[in-house]
This record gives sequence, C-alpha cells and structure tokens, in this order.
Amino acid sequence: MEYFSLKRSSALDQGQTNLSSKVYVRSTKSGKVQKIVRELYLRRDIPCSSSLCRACLEIAPTDYSKKVAPFVLSDTPAGSKNFPNGQYLVPDTNAFLTGMDLFEVETAFHDVVVLQTVLEEVKNQSLPLYHRLIALTKNEGKRFYVFFNEFRQETYVIRNAGETINDRNDRAVRKAVLWYNHHLSEAVAARSKKQQRIPSVVMITDDRDNLQKAKSDGIPALSLSEFVSGLENADELLDMISAAQERREVRSSKAEVFYPEYFTMSKMMTGVKAGTLHQGIFNVSPYNYLEGSIHVPAFDKSLLILGRENSNRAVSGDVVVVEVLPKDQWKAPSTKIIEEETLNKNDNPEVEDGEDVISERERRALQEEVKRVHGQSAEGRPQPTARVVGIIKRNWRQYVGHIDRDSVRSTSKSSRQQQMVFLVPMDKRIPKIRIRTRQAGELLGQRVLATIDSWERDSRYPVGHFVRSLGELESKGAETEALLLEWDVQYRPFPKIVLDCLPPEGHEWKVPASLDDPGWRGRKDLRDLLVCSIDPPGCVDIDDALHARKLPNGNFEVGVHIADVSHFVKPNNAMDKEASQRGTTVYLVDKRIDMLPMLLGTDLCSLKPYVERYAFTVLWEITTNADIVSVDFTKSVIRSREAFSYEQAQIRIDDESQQDGLTNGMRTLMMLSKKLRQKRYDAGALNLASPEVKVQTESETSDPVDVQTKRLLDTNSLVEEFMLLANISVAGKNYEAFPQTALLRRHGAPPKTNFEELGNQLKVKKGLEIRTDSSKALADSLDTCVDHKEPFFNTLVRIMATRCMMSAEYFCAGSQAYPEFRHYGLASEIYTHFTSPIRRYADLEAHRQLAAAIDYEPLDPSLHSKAKLEGICKNINMRHRNAQMAGRASIEYYVGQALKGKDIKEEGFIMKIFSNGFVVFVPRFGVESLIRLRDLATPEPEAEFDAENYVLKVKGDINRSVELFEKVTVRITDEIEESTGKRKVKLTLV
Amino acid sequence: MPLDTSIYPLALLRLDGRRWNELRRIHAQVSVQAAADGSSYLEMGNTRVICVVLGPAEGKDKGQRGAREGEAKVGVEIAVAGFSGMERRRRVGNKRTSEMQHCLSTAFSSLLFTHLYPHSTISISIHILSQDGSLLAACLNAATLALIDAGIPMSDYLTACTVASSASSSSSDTATSDPLLDLNGLEEQELPFLTIGAVGEKVSVLMLETRVRMERVEGMLAVGVEGCKRVRAILDGVVRTYEKKFG
Repeated sequence: MEYFSLKRSSALDQGQTNLSSKVYVRSTKSGKVQKIVRELYLRRDIPCSSSLCRACLEIAPTDYSKKVAPFVLSDTPAGSKNFPNGQYLVPDTNAFLTGMDLFEVETAFHDVVVLQTVLEEVKNQSLPLYHRLIALTKNEGKRFYVFFNEFRQETYVIRNAGETINDRNDRAVRKAVLWYNHHLSEAVAARSKKQQRIPSVVMITDDRDNLQKAKSDGIPALSLSEFVSGLENADELLDMISAAQERREVRSSKAEVFYPEYFTMSKMMTGVKAGTLHQGIFNVSPYNYLEGSIHVPAFDKSLLILGRENSNRAVSGDVVVVEVLPKDQWKAPSTKIIEEETLNKNDNPEVEDGEDVISERERRALQEEVKRVHGQSAEGRPQPTARVVGIIKRNWRQYVGHIDRDSVRSTSKSSRQQQMVFLVPMDKRIPKIRIRTRQAGELLGQRVLATIDSWERDSRYPVGHFVRSLGELESKGAETEALLLEWDVQYRPFPKIVLDCLPPEGHEWKVPASLDDPGWRGRKDLRDLLVCSIDPPGCVDIDDALHARKLPNGNFEVGVHIADVSHFVKPNNAMDKEASQRGTTVYLVDKRIDMLPMLLGTDLCSLKPYVERYAFTVLWEITTNADIVSVDFTKSVIRSREAFSYEQAQIRIDDESQQDGLTNGMRTLMMLSKKLRQKRYDAGALNLASPEVKVQTESETSDPVDVQTKRLLDTNSLVEEFMLLANISVAGKNYEAFPQTALLRRHGAPPKTNFEELGNQLKVKKGLEIRTDSSKALADSLDTCVDHKEPFFNTLVRIMATRCMMSAEYFCAGSQAYPEFRHYGLASEIYTHFTSPIRRYADLEAHRQLAAAIDYEPLDPSLHSKAKLEGICKNINMRHRNAQMAGRASIEYYVGQALKGKDIKEEGFIMKIFSNGFVVFVPRFGVESLIRLRDLATPEPEAEFDAENYVLKVKGDINRSVELFEKVTVRITDEIEESTGKRKVKLTLV
Repeated sequence: MPLDTSIYPLALLRLDGRRWNELRRIHAQVSVQAAADGSSYLEMGNTRVICVVLGPAEGKDKGQRGAREGEAKVGVEIAVAGFSGMERRRRVGNKRTSEMQHCLSTAFSSLLFTHLYPHSTISISIHILSQDGSLLAACLNAATLALIDAGIPMSDYLTACTVASSASSSSSDTATSDPLLDLNGLEEQELPFLTIGAVGEKVSVLMLETRVRMERVEGMLAVGVEGCKRVRAILDGVVRTYEKKFG
C-alpha cells in the first residue's frame, strides 16, 4: 500500500533541486570514525556584491531589521598590465597561506573576492591566518568580499567519484570565477548598451595544474608572483611572498638533511603521558645561543639543551617535547659566552649543502666546553641534558632585525637580482633568518621586519620572508617602532569605532551640576575635602589623589581617590575591548602609548586640580598608630585642590611656615605612611632594588642630554604606602564578594634553587649568608649584606636578589587556593591592582568588581565567567611584562644615544663571571655590559677560571685577576653592536 | 574544521545556506502505520520522527493516576533510536527524554478535549529516527499530526519550532543579532536558543535552557510565533492532501 511507504518521493518535494547534502567522514579524538550528514540549501539570491550589478541589488538579502548589507566591490577596480579594464581577484587557498602579508598591504590588493571554499580551507590550515583574513573582510578600505559559492546554485560543485577533495575545491574555485566573469559581463550589458569596460575576475593560484586547467577553460588566471610583478612596487611586494611554498618544490631534489626528524604527534603524546618524554617551553640563554633550557613539570630544575642538533630547529618560545639524553651525554651549563656572529660569520645563505649542521668553529667551541667540564672533578656538575624530539606549537612571531652585510652578494642599489640574505634578529636568542630579496642593497642599514615561514630538516637556518622596512638603523622612529614591535605593543592610533565610545561632549564634559542627574546616583559628594595629588613631574594622567583629616574622636580619616574610569569605559564596548587588548599603558623615554584614548586618560578621568571629577574612593578610619579601624568604599565626586610633583610636595611639607589645611593633611599622611611602612617591613616585606635611571631629553627634539639615577623622596613612599593599602583593602572586599572570580595579584615565593647561586657567591666571596625560608628572613638577611667599605654593595646584592625572584602575576581568585594568594614581596595575604585604572586594565576590572561588590551597579556577565577572566589575566600578565621590557629597551637605546661619542671613566661592579668574560654593572648609568677576554687584548689572552671561587685570572700582558663583586674602574664608550645593530654602551677595563 | 556560526554576519547566511527566517524542508505523512489509531512521520531537515497514537482507550490501571478527575490521561513515550545521533549509543535518553515526555504530555493535556473521554488513556509514542536539532519541536509537530489522524478533538494545531539568537551573548552590539529560525544540530550546539510551541497566536510551550540576553528574547519570540504559523500552514497542507486522497 502506498501510504505505508516512508520513502520520500521526489514528487512530494515538488522537485526541489535546491537541496543537497554534504556527507563527510571524520575521526574523533578517541579514534572513532563518524559519518556526518549535513543539509545544504542552494540558492540563487547570493549577491555578487559588485557595485556594477543592479540585478543582485534587488535580490540582496535583508536581515531582521530589514537592512541590506552594502555592496563591497568597486565599480572601477584597479587594473594592471594584463587586465587594463580592472580586475577583481579571486585567490585560492594557497595564495592566502603564502601571501597573507601581501594581501594586508594597504596600497595594493583591493577588490578581492574570498570564496567560501577558500575561507574554509584557510581555516582548516591555519587559524591565525583565518582570523587575519576575517579582519581583512571587515576593513572597508580593502574591499574584501566573502562570496558563499557553495550555497549558490550555479557555483555549487558536487565532488565526483574518485576526485580528491583538493581537486574538487580547485574546480569549485574555477567554477566560481567563471560564473563571476559571466555574471559581470551580463551586469554591465544590462546597465548600458554601449560597450563598457568590464572588469576581469582573475583567479590567483600557484598550483600549476590548476592554472593549466583554468587556461584551457578560458578562465583568467595568474600565479601570485606573476600578478604581483604586474604591479607598481613589485619588488617590495615580491619579497613578501612566503618563501615556504617555493622552497618545498625545490627541496625534493636535495637529499642532505641537517636535523633529525621529529617524532609523530601520537608518539610524543603517548611519551608525555607515560613520562618518558617531557613537554615545556624552549628557552635560549641570552648569553649563549647554543644553550637552551626547558622547564618541565616533572623536575624542579630546568633541563639543559645543548647544541644546535639537540635543539633541533626549536626557536626560543616554542612549545616542544624533549627526551632526556643518557647520562654519559650530560653536560654542565656553559660558563662561556658564545655568540652566533663570532662563530658563523662566514656562513653563506645561498649555499646549503656541503656543510654540516655544526660548523667547524662551533664544534671546536663545544669541544672546549666538554674538556673543561671533564677537567673539573667536582661532583654534580653535569646537568641532565635533553634533546628536542618534536614541536607541539610554534610560537613564531614577526621579528625585527637587520640584514647581515656580509651575506649580501651585491650591495648595489640598482641591482634587482634576487638573492638570499641573512636577517639578524634583534633578539639574540633567535637564529638568523634566511630571506630571499630583490632589494638587498636598499635594505642594508635598515631596521627590517620579517617572519619565519618554515624550518625544514635540510636547512641550517629557518627560512622567512620580508614584511616591511621600519627605517634607518639608529633613527629614533625606526628604533622606537622596532622595540614596540619586538615587545608586541599595540601602538597604532585608536580606530574610529573606539573613539566613538567617548562621551560626545569631548573636553567640554563636566560633572553634572544638578545632584538629581543620573551620574550622581550612588555617589558621595566629597567636593569639600582638601584633596590633592602627588605624582612625578609632568604627569598628565593623574590616577590617584589623597586626603587626610582629623576626626573628633582623635583618629584620622584618610581617603584615597582613584579616577573613576569604569564610569566612562563600559564593559564589552569597542573601547573596553581595545583596552583589554592593550592591557597597559607603555611608557617609553620620549613617548607614551596609552591604553585609553587621550581624552579620557589625560582629561576626563584624570584627577586634575581645580576641577570636579568622578572618583572611586576608599575611606579609612585610622588611629594615630596607623591601625585601621574601618574601611569604606564609595563612588564619589571630588575636587582636587592641587597637583604636586614629588619634589614640590616634599618642599611644602618641610616648610614649617605653611600651616594651611592641605599641607597639614599631607603631614598627617606622611606621618601615617611612615608607620604603615614600618609595619609592612616588620611583617616581612622586601625592599628590593632595580637599577633605575632617568634620561633627560631636550624638550623640543627629545634628543637625550644626560642620564641620571632616579632619586627617591619621602613623598614617593607616602603615595606608595597608601596605594598599597588601598589595593589590599579592595582585594579583600572583592574576594569576599566574588570568591571565584575576583581579579587579584600574587607574587609567589621564589623556589630555593633560585637563590642557590647567589647564596653560594655571597658565602664564598664575602662570608655572608642569605636565608630564604620566608620573606621576613630574606629581608633581614639582605639587611646584613653590607660591606662597610662599599656602601653600594648592599644595593648590588638587592639588585641581584631581585633577579632571583618570581615575577608577580594577575590571577583569578577561583584558580588558586587561598594560601597561594600571598604577595611575597609585599608580605600581604591578598593583593590586587586598583589604583591606576587609567594605565592598567587590571585596575579597571577591579573597579567594576568593587562597584558590584558595594551594590553600585550590577556586574557585567563577562566578569562572572572564570574562563574569560583567566584569558584576561593571561593577556595582561603578558602585556605587563612586555611593557616593562619595552620601557627598559627604550632607556637602553637612549642611554646609548646619550653616551654617543663620549668617553667617560666610571666605577663599576662585577656581577657575573664566565670563563671567557665577565659582566660589569655601572650604577651611575644603570647599564650592565659584558667584557670579553678578547676585548682586553688581541690576540685573546689566556685565562684561568676558578669557578668555585669566582675568580678569573687573566694571563699574558694584562696579568691581573678579576673576581665577583669586585669594584673596577671602566672606560665607557659606545659602539654599534654588530649582532643586533643597536648602539650600545661599551665598557673596557682600565 | 568547517566554518561555524560566527560567519553569519559576513553574508547573512547560515551554516546550511539558509537565511535567518527560513525553515528547513519539512516533509510529513500521516497514517503511516495502519494498525494504530493515528500515526504520522515527520522530517524537519535531517531530524526524523515517527509518532503513533493509541486510544482513547480504557486505561490499564483503574486509578488513572496522573490525570484529573473525569478527564482522559495523555501518556507520552519517547524512544530514541541508537542510530539516530552522530555516534551509536546503546541506551539513549533518560532525563532528557523524560523531560520531553512530560512537556508533551502537559501540552497536549490542555490542548485536547480530554473531558470527552473520562477514565481513558490516550497514549502517544514517538520514535526518534534521526536527530539534527529542533528535536522537541519535531516531536510536538509529529504528535499533533498523529492526534489529528486519530481523530481526537482539539481546538487547533499545536505547532512548534526553535529560534536562536545569532550573536554570542558577550558581544553587546545588538545590530548584528538576528534571530535565527529552526536550528539544525550544529547551530543548536553553538547558539543560545528556545523552543516555542503555539496554538494559533497563543504560546503554549516555551522552553529556554541557555542564557540569552533579556533584550533579545522579544525578537526571538516574535520570529518563533511567526515560524509556528508557517509550520501550521505546512502541516495543514499535509492533512488536507491526505483528506483528499482518503477522505
């Protein structure tokens, strides 16, 4: 009977030809195979999005709010030699994979159709590239359009039996290009009868087979390089094509292999699980590029990875899997400085074969190492050594460097010959990168940005491609941009979408006059308090202000007022997202890269004097002994009476004749802060030191004039104490309200092993002892580290101790147990950052949480999610570190510039000692630098290194010995460091 | 890694090529099981269910537990075939199916004129043959058809569909958040969605198990009610062709 049948008759579907299904098979993690069936609805109303086409405009889809997406592709696209009528580009997957940097160039590559087939393949191959491609489609200026060819009936392609998926996709791309060409000529014909110029739709592919098939079908097609050579600035652009693709083809003919093969992923995974292999992040020693180390969870101490072969193409920062070598191959960590440029100066980037992976000189250096190690009978010297067997995740980024002059064959600028050159990265831990370029002559002496594309087994160095030139070496602009790129600092101006989030009143914005205004809801009126701010001179982003007054009961009321940034930056808008990306404001010597737009940071949020500002206030009642009676948090409105610099405030406090309320308030604060400070030290807070200098620049040109060490005044610590107190109070409150999601900051206790070396050095050289059982013990023992003849010695030890510490980090309360919250350096149980929301994103999040904790406003859902907060913490930890690094690098650059051409004699101290050199620290300029034996005299003098006593006896003409902590006089000159192209301070022993 | 729902704003196309307000292909048959009092077979995309109605008949247990005095009891049983999902499973469903059973039973108890059949039971059993999203909606629609086939009086069709909110809940700009009608399995996993069942203009079933932003719900409901109307038209068409053939 018919009606029993469940079979679908096509008659019932009214012959729907627009339904298709996608069937594919995939295997799951557990190894099972799944067959997946998906429906596919084919349609005819997917527009071509060309402004030439009217027919498509009529069928263009509307969204829920009846809006039509604007058409993207220009009606007069740019032309080229081959296509004078203009062209739309349709790149295939490989074109995007190899040439993404090209497509991102602002001046070329407009009007691009991204096919769905291609988009899907790109996503399969590389997520980062996929995200970059999506970002391109959102960039209005670039006119990238995603055409869903798989859903359009005319361009949908069914995979034939026996056809590979790649062939099918290539066919889909060709079909889409064909359709586009046809469609456009129809569209132009419909527009006007007269012959008009019809843009060609050009397929871009590097697949020879695909090109051929396209040609035979009459489809315009070009390879990426063919297309680029038709453009104006072809030479520059051609270099940006990723080298990976081309190389692969040439490769197959060559047989020589430099490096062992990686294990398969499954072998590594089982090995890691079984504990025979170990996974961790590969780190290269900044002193010795052949020595890497890796910290793995299984061991307390890091494993050593020595030599190029053992590090097997891992680049510093990669996540790798290692295998521990047999004990007879264990080695001691190097006591020698090995720099790449001295050993491999003469490598030729063009020649690959005929050389071993370890060059003769490298081998000799290693042999000497081994001999030295074997010569020492001391026990436990050789350390567990491992070799890299596979890479889990590459952490390659873009690297800044310069072209090695010696690797350039012809330096003439007119030569357009393509040649292979070395890019020497600024980061010494990164190997040289081989780059193919046609503009070698021009790139010499420039800061260049490049990326690594691949590192095959048969290539000694990784292969990469040129991205862009930053400018002349040593020019301020290029060097600043270089260090921003190197530390991954977002320095581009804020996009419009971010600036749109600012209050429309702009600089005219004022605290509403009427108390009934919604802005006043829940705010305390603290405008009559005598509030003032104390900051470094010239500070414009004033985060914090203070006040203190005596209460009738004899106690004091102290208030810390923090800029109410969270009022202006609402969660999840474009501005918030940008800020959370940037994470922190970065301070360079001559430049500040803001986290928030100027309008907020330096005006509306900034607690400027004499104007009313919104604030987030912490109020304490404190006894004369600086015991806290109570604490209260509230949103408020304040009016700062004065903005002092540290020095001005100090002068005012010290001036007895000033007896006004404001000055007396500051005196109260000063008195309380000293007591608070003492309490903190009693609890075991550390007083650490880091070499801090300030570069004085000429105001107009910002050319460096002089270098000074920073002075610390009492007022510095006044502000610091109350900020710490506020942070601690807020941390407690936030944790109480959100035990799972409060954003806190912790500082882990350093593992004992970190102090082993310093402890040993102090014991051997000075007979001092360092105790690390608690922060209190450490603080006390650091206090005893004094050399009466040398007042600076204590600071030196503190600097060295600081380097043994863990770095503090942001975390989300739910991810750690309460005892782990401890801030070791401050000796506080719980801590967060609250007091600088203008320049740190963590503080902004803390503000939002505190506002919710005091029921001022509901908490945004994003702050409820632990996973999201952990992501934020990870990012801001990284940004924070990078910002510090960038700041230091900037100072280093300016110190180098300030000392340019000078010749000064200064005192220095020996901080670290190697068998063929030593590191000297000069406190006057806060610089430390390496002095190698070969810098002392040529030929390199013989020397005897006593590792146990940290003494290096230099023989020969020099005939003197240097030891650790010794005070030496050095001559300071400057030179350009060859390996990095940075101008650096050069020290020579006098 | 195929594309996911985040591509929707790029071209206003969903993962399977539909627009925001399009239903999947619905195919339905009634009287597919001669031995039953009423039966139906329904496909919404790749979701396939078969529904069989027995009764009204005298209930097994005298007490008529679960039903009000003087009214028929509506019993629902849902069986999920082991092969219906992506992976073969031996015992599928338990809490989920009993929740769906309960939902169907309450919905139809108030829809059917149960007071006409005191002391009796109407039992609906549903077999899920293939799952690809909107499962509860498909069950409701199939049951409606089977009950009509069984000739049990009711006031109107109870039809159902699902609606999702296209943007993820974290992004705050409402401009890009179209409500999406009739989800397939993949979309259900990625987006917050609700199942809505309507009798005419009146909402009789509403199920929302994910977090959605308050301001989006209204739009979703409006689209859902509209979707239910369209489903009703399709089901009505199926019933009428059947009527012509056999009536």
